[in-house]
Amino acid sequence: MSRISVISRRVAGASVSLVLAAGLAACAGPEDSSGGGGSGADGKPAKGGTLSVLNSNPQQDFDPARLYTSGGGNVPSLVFRTLTTRNREDGAPGAEVVPDLATDLGKPNKDATVWTYTLKEGLKYEDGAPITSADIKYGIERSFAAELSGGAPYLRDWLIGGADYEGPYKSKKGLDSIETPDERTIVFKLNKPEGEFPYLATQTQFAPVPKAKDKGTKYEEHPVSSGPYKVVKNENDGEHLVLERNEHWDPKTDEERKAYPDRIDVRSGLDSAVINQRLQASQGADAAAVTTDTNLGPAELAKVSGDKKLAERVGTGHFGYVNYLAFNPKVKPFDDPKVRQAISYAVNRSSVINAAGGSSLAEPATTFLPPQKSFGYTKYDHFPAGETGNADKAKELLKEAGHEDGLKIKLTHSTDKDFETSPEIATALQEALQKAGFTVELDGLESNDYSEKIHNVKSAPGLFLAHWGADWPSGGPFIAPIFDGRQIVKEGSGNYNAAELNDPAVNKEIDEINKLTDLDAAAARWGALDQKIGEQALTVPLFHPVYKRLYGKDIKNVVISDWTGVLDISQVSVK
Amino acid sequence: MTEALLVKEAGAVQAAPASGARSFWRRLRTQRAALAAAVVVALLVLVALAAPLLTALAGQDPNAYHPEAVDSAAGGVPLGSFGGIGAEHWLGVEPGTGRDLFARIVYGARVSLGVALFATVVQLALGVTLGLAAALGNRWVDQAISRFTDVVVALPLMVMALALLAIVPQSVPRPVLIAVVVGLVGWSGTSKVVRAQALALKSLDHVAAARLSGWSTWRIARRELLPSLAAPVITYGALLVPANISVEAALSFLGIGIKPPTPSWGQMITEADTWYATAPTYLLIPASLLFVTVLSLTVLGEGVRVALDPRAESRLKVGAAKARMRKRSSR
Repeated sequence: MSRISVISRRVAGASVSLVLAAGLAACAGPEDSSGGGGSGADGKPAKGGTLSVLNSNPQQDFDPARLYTSGGGNVPSLVFRTLTTRNREDGAPGAEVVPDLATDLGKPNKDATVWTYTLKEGLKYEDGAPITSADIKYGIERSFAAELSGGAPYLRDWLIGGADYEGPYKSKKGLDSIETPDERTIVFKLNKPEGEFPYLATQTQFAPVPKAKDKGTKYEEHPVSSGPYKVVKNENDGEHLVLERNEHWDPKTDEERKAYPDRIDVRSGLDSAVINQRLQASQGADAAAVTTDTNLGPAELAKVSGDKKLAERVGTGHFGYVNYLAFNPKVKPFDDPKVRQAISYAVNRSSVINAAGGSSLAEPATTFLPPQKSFGYTKYDHFPAGETGNADKAKELLKEAGHEDGLKIKLTHSTDKDFETSPEIATALQEALQKAGFTVELDGLESNDYSEKIHNVKSAPGLFLAHWGADWPSGGPFIAPIFDGRQIVKEGSGNYNAAELNDPAVNKEIDEINKLTDLDAAAARWGALDQKIGEQALTVPLFHPVYKRLYGKDIKNVVISDWTGVLDISQVSVK
Repeated sequence: MTEALLVKEAGAVQAAPASGARSFWRRLRTQRAALAAAVVVALLVLVALAAPLLTALAGQDPNAYHPEAVDSAAGGVPLGSFGGIGAEHWLGVEPGTGRDLFARIVYGARVSLGVALFATVVQLALGVTLGLAAALGNRWVDQAISRFTDVVVALPLMVMALALLAIVPQSVPRPVLIAVVVGLVGWSGTSKVVRAQALALKSLDHVAAARLSGWSTWRIARRELLPSLAAPVITYGALLVPANISVEAALSFLGIGIKPPTPSWGQMITEADTWYATAPTYLLIPASLLFVTVLSLTVLGEGVRVALDPRAESRLKVGAAKARMRKRSSR
């Protein structure tokens, strides 16, 4: 018989949880810095030196057409400039969108269906060739090619003719809804009003690609840089990426990227425990190291918070993200609003937060929108459970619903340890709900099985752990996929509207807000809409995660925005 | 005359178990390490059986959360020294949840020991049956069973267990299911040992005599082979129990073992792995218990093996060589 070593299994498991943590980080961006802002060391940031990046996930498919980023990504944004980009500032101002290659955020027509951009003067590629609007059009067109898939679906959904376009390799004609009347002007024609188009223009698909240098799927080995750094080495599909200064990048055209180090060495495929250990030790080259995808875990945080010197080297940030309990009202007894409300009252957010790593790594959530200004956060708590749950109120509601003898329910979660849909969180909820008269059966599913089931309307369980993060810091991409009835996916996997809410009033308000080009006004309306939907108790918001990441001793000028929640590599200095 | 001899011989075999059991206990008692191990194992079983009593005595519940016992801002590390050990929580609390470790340890013993013992019984039952069938059946039966056993030996146990556990509905009681699954995939070693031993025994005179006198295969197996197989099988079984505890731990670690919130030692060790630096007692307590259990069972198993091995008796005594020589000369 073969005997399994518990130790080696444990190590294997640790690396699994690392990849998961990294996955979470990859799809989430960082946000709002409360504690980590400011310079990590004395003195002004200066040019020079080599910055090391220690990551779990490789910079896979390093092609602007294939990257799925929020705000252009951290490492990709060093190489790819886009029409607009995120504001590189600490906290809330960092969640604003600002011009990058373009002179402004775009000029919309009256109903926000046509957006016109003008490029800055003197923009050059790493070989000194000028960047033209036709290159940006070409860059977007090639992201429609099947072999270069991977990016966000918005361009396909929004551009006129986008749904049927197959990319420049198959269709020589190009996409008519993108016009380039001259070398510095580009016009986008959309099939519906989209006031948030400037946010979309931060994604890497809006980076220029010179047609003559395009090598299809091989372009990722050496994409032509428009940013402060160019790729000098790309090994094993982004496992080891070395960037050096692009001499043709003119800082006068770029107000956002500081680009202090001369060289940036990105190493990936490392275990998260190893990354955190190396950053703690901060020896040799690791003194000038950061990570862009690995958070501190609860146990590591316990060690770091006990050491003042280490605690100073922790960057804290908030990414727009929510972890919640999702209801599928098609499954009994969750069709009864009283049962959903009873569960909303019964949850013990303190114990859930402890299961998620404690109050330093998660903040209680009573709203679906994350608590940042740019999302239009409007505070509400329709079913106040307090810190530890209101079992009495929940029992009362259960009685009203005709379940005075208690109610048996099933809570579905994934079996991944130390993850946001983990058995630990499910068990904490089970304990709290039990106090309110529920008998909770836990149904743990293997993670692939889990995500397949919960995103398919035919197999979605009645109550499960879910999470959501937006592609840019606004209410639109946060609320619409979850509550817009027209985004219900009836066939196959990919449905995020678990409640299958198809409320004409909600759909109409979403359309109305999308017409607004005043982003602040839109934010306020998203906040109000969130509050309104919240009355239906279709979800139980549980917590908003907080990012805590270590950086090396020599790192200066740490900037953590509310957009990404992690330190911005373009601002960091090592001298 | 021949018949009378055979009957006499058969009678001798029949009498053997009684005197064997007596001498077995006598021989086991002379081994202090094995005795100590037996006491430890008995204590552990007692603790597992008395889990509700012991937790009531401690005034704790294995599944009750105590958020006040941990420092939430520091990742949920237990408050107080040594993982929160004190009058209230005898062995401290679990990081993050604040659940009482003493209560979880004693309830965890039920799962870990129960699953391991039950799985061992299943493994031995299957292994002995199939091993004997292969040894006593005709060429085709032997070939079929032996090749099947080879295939099972070659299959990685964990992969098989994962596959089996994945297809069984969640409604089946988890501890029973795990014991059966581990039993179903882990019998091949026993089967091979039993077959080899049985084949060797088959060629001995007393078995041949039994066959010649027209005994049925079943009767030969029961009366002639099983008594002699007891020693290797019991020994093997004693070594399987600790291995099965480890398998249960590994399965729990992979998330397909015991379902939360039911505690098991394996699960606790799994959860504790990241906490070794900041809350070492959380890892040390269940890990030491698992170590002690596995060690005791292994020592006890070795003791049983020695006690059952007739040749070992002489080795147990000082001056064994002389004793053996005397015996030989007296013959």
